Amino acid sequence: MGDIKKHETPTIDDLKKGPFPSFVDDIEIFGLNKKKQACLDLLGQLELSYKNKETHWKHGGIVGVFGYGGGVIGRYSDQQDKFPAIWAFHTIRVNQPASKFYHVSALRKLCDLWDHRGSGMTNFHGSTGDMVLLGTTTEQLEPVFFDLTHQMNMDLGGSGSNLRTPSCCVGKARCEFACIDTQALCYDLTMTYQDELHRPAFPYKFKFKISGCPNDCVAAIARSDMSIIGTWIDDIRIDQEAVKAYVGGELKPNAGAHAGRDWGAFDIQKEVIDLCPTGCMSWDGNKLTIDNKNCVRCMHCINVMPEALRPGTDTGATILMGAKAPILEGAQLSTVMIPFIRLEPPYDNLKEIVENVWMFWMEEGKNRERLGELIQRVGLANFVETVKLKHIPQMIREPRSNPYVFWKEEEVPGGWKRDIAEFRKRHPA
Amino acid sequence: MADKIYEEIQNVQLDEIFSKPYDPELGEKLYNPQKPMENRITDIGPPHYAQFFPPVIKKNYGKWKSHEIIEPGVIKYTSETGDVVYAVRCATPRLATTDYIREICEIAEKYCEGYVRWTTRNNIEFHVTDEEKLRALLDDLKGRKHPGGSYKFPVGGTGCSVTNIVHTQGWVHCHTPAIDASGIVKSVMDDLFEDFQNMRLPAKVRIALACCLNMCGAVHCSDIAILGIHRKPPLVEDERLEYVCEIPLVIAACPLGAIKPATVEIDGKKKKTVRVNESRCMFCGNCYTMCPAMPLADGEGDGIAILVGGKISNRISAPKFSKLIIPYIPNEPPRWPTTVKWVKKILETYAQHARKYERVGDWAERIGWEKFFELCEIPFSEKTMDDYRLAYDTYRTSMHFKFTSHVEIK
Amino acid sequence: MEMEEIKQKILEFMQKKAKSKSKIYLKDMQRAIPDAKPMQIKKAANELVREGKLEYFSTGSTVMYSLPGQDLEKGMTSE
Repeated sequence: MGDIKKHETPTIDDLKKGPFPSFVDDIEIFGLNKKKQACLDLLGQLELSYKNKETHWKHGGIVGVFGYGGGVIGRYSDQQDKFPAIWAFHTIRVNQPASKFYHVSALRKLCDLWDHRGSGMTNFHGSTGDMVLLGTTTEQLEPVFFDLTHQMNMDLGGSGSNLRTPSCCVGKARCEFACIDTQALCYDLTMTYQDELHRPAFPYKFKFKISGCPNDCVAAIARSDMSIIGTWIDDIRIDQEAVKAYVGGELKPNAGAHAGRDWGAFDIQKEVIDLCPTGCMSWDGNKLTIDNKNCVRCMHCINVMPEALRPGTDTGATILMGAKAPILEGAQLSTVMIPFIRLEPPYDNLKEIVENVWMFWMEEGKNRERLGELIQRVGLANFVETVKLKHIPQMIREPRSNPYVFWKEEEVPGGWKRDIAEFRKRHPA
Repeated sequence: MADKIYEEIQNVQLDEIFSKPYDPELGEKLYNPQKPMENRITDIGPPHYAQFFPPVIKKNYGKWKSHEIIEPGVIKYTSETGDVVYAVRCATPRLATTDYIREICEIAEKYCEGYVRWTTRNNIEFHVTDEEKLRALLDDLKGRKHPGGSYKFPVGGTGCSVTNIVHTQGWVHCHTPAIDASGIVKSVMDDLFEDFQNMRLPAKVRIALACCLNMCGAVHCSDIAILGIHRKPPLVEDERLEYVCEIPLVIAACPLGAIKPATVEIDGKKKKTVRVNESRCMFCGNCYTMCPAMPLADGEGDGIAILVGGKISNRISAPKFSKLIIPYIPNEPPRWPTTVKWVKKILETYAQHARKYERVGDWAERIGWEKFFELCEIPFSEKTMDDYRLAYDTYRTSMHFKFTSHVEIK
Repeated sequence: MEMEEIKQKILEFMQKKAKSKSKIYLKDMQRAIPDAKPMQIKKAANELVREGKLEYFSTGSTVMYSLPGQDLEKGMTSE
């Protein structure tokens, strides 16, 4: 490796100051120590962007490795002369282990691989959840893939009109709220749908996200076409002694989350009972009562008093569908489709629903139409019927306020075929 | 069945493949461009998650009983078995070099038996099982700084704090951004650093940044969202367009039907291209996604919109979208002072006025958005009034409003 | 419909379209061959890629298919 050239970067050097970790320091020092011209060129190009307030990346149609329709995003610099080391600077998405625990042996080997074959820069992690290897040339794509599969037992994640890499919260590995085995389900779905993950299958992207409880730490309800969120159908478990300990001030409410300010003594009436969205709780000074039939499982009381209250033990998930960011028709949150489903390997009950939905979307969806947009276009009731679910009031917040029902002919006695002559016999014109 | 998954997890061992050194020559040996299918392994999926669980996590899988934030950034989990584990949460910039990751590995090896975890919001979590190790780890983390003085691994982001910002690529590595990402995140977090490390807010505050309307960062349900926007219609590069774009796909890509096919004559040659009805353009950039000959980016035109009041959690109130309250702030690299000022102002006003447990959106809804604008001293702009799909849902059709300074009495 | 027949139809469709369009969505193939199930067409198209008779083209957000031999880096070099 020859000499490396550090560009003058007075503007972005300002981002070395301040307490929050500086990516500029990290990248510059790494580039100098490891003689990675790509790092220094990237900072040089960023400096240019900071001067003229425009990006200097252009898109590329590279999809990467043979036989895969996703996992690599093509990227080229428009400043080839100034920053030749980042002219071709493609992104590789590597499928993360569910819930992102790692052992250093795996991380270090991945670092060695990436120092050898790429820029040494990463995103840990991309928004979808993948380990993102940032920046390599076209010639290195196949060798990176061979290294990943032969030396790391790792595989690429999704991009394009594929199933995107499923992701999940920490689940039962370290959270007492988890109502489902999020990692097990995430891993199973990922393995079952490898073909859909690696090869284009759909009109547009499709995302699964799995949260263990309604706190929804992976934001499944906001950003996945199929949101799988753990819940329970029996009663919240109550430890009355622990409730008293909270009331008496022996236990810290909210697990200490409000410790940075003096909010005064804990007031169970004001902070729990009165904030319950359905008003289904009461406290008589000695005993906490929950009318579980009227609970909507918002988790507030459990979050406030985790030592005293726990989700029930008859657990499963709610399936919601159709969330997406605003492009194109506006942002959507997922809509309830199945209020409760038990989730146990091999999850055939869930997969049957998944495949019904995909089949309908593949047949009816337009190019670049997300599932949520399709549901809006065909109407919720039609969608529910087509994917063989049951119409129930849990699917809507309120009934329609307009009377424009699309009655079908077979729903009306006698059908729609009528004789005008017969009509006129009764009603002369 | 839960027992069966527990058993399976106990039986998963760390893959031996990771103990073998990386062979830098194997790729070229195995890959034959003439026979691309030779030696190819496909569809093996991700490594099994359970092999990376620290022993205490593995043993207590499904047995956790409760948790407590014992100090900002440190959560103590207690199991039914009596075991405890402390998770130490540190923010990272997400954009990280392999040496940064190697330093994380060094720490994980020294204190955590070689295990570490990343969260959905780009934090890392180190797990230790006794207080002595916890103190040593916290001391060690505090001392690790970059040459410019920034902490490499600042501890915080738990409970009612501002946790790490989720964000996108920006000018660092994206072709459609209107703004940078990492630099703005750094500037905002530098300014809110105290609120990352203490827990004085009425509820948690989730900030997110997306560098264009595509929102790979899914900022649309955040307490405070920083969003990159374009404000000039795409340029149309007539000379090049027919070579690099599929014209029907470009036309179909426009959600407002503002793109029409056209033919132009350049040097006596007829070329197919498109024309944009500029008054109908909402600057979404979808055309540029389909056609590189229609760039939108513009140093003067691009900038930031601020949206607030979204949430994901079902706690007390339902999940909701963030609402646009500041339609435009110019790009001000390298520190984006106006953006930082408004984020700080919103956060401070919220911290001062909201009730305990109220998220930003819950607070704004309780007091009314007119009051929100007044308290935060944000000039009301007609551009925050919706005119896209379903706009009517946002109109006020009741007598329930407050008389704020916006109302002129004549 | 047999897999080989679907593959043949896909290739015919691609060649016919190649005059005006270099890249085709899966959806367009599925529309052009209404007698076969969309899932089958997806499988056939992906098999054709493995056989080297079709190639993928990705914008990052969506993937299309094209006949091989097109210069995917066209327009990427400095012009």
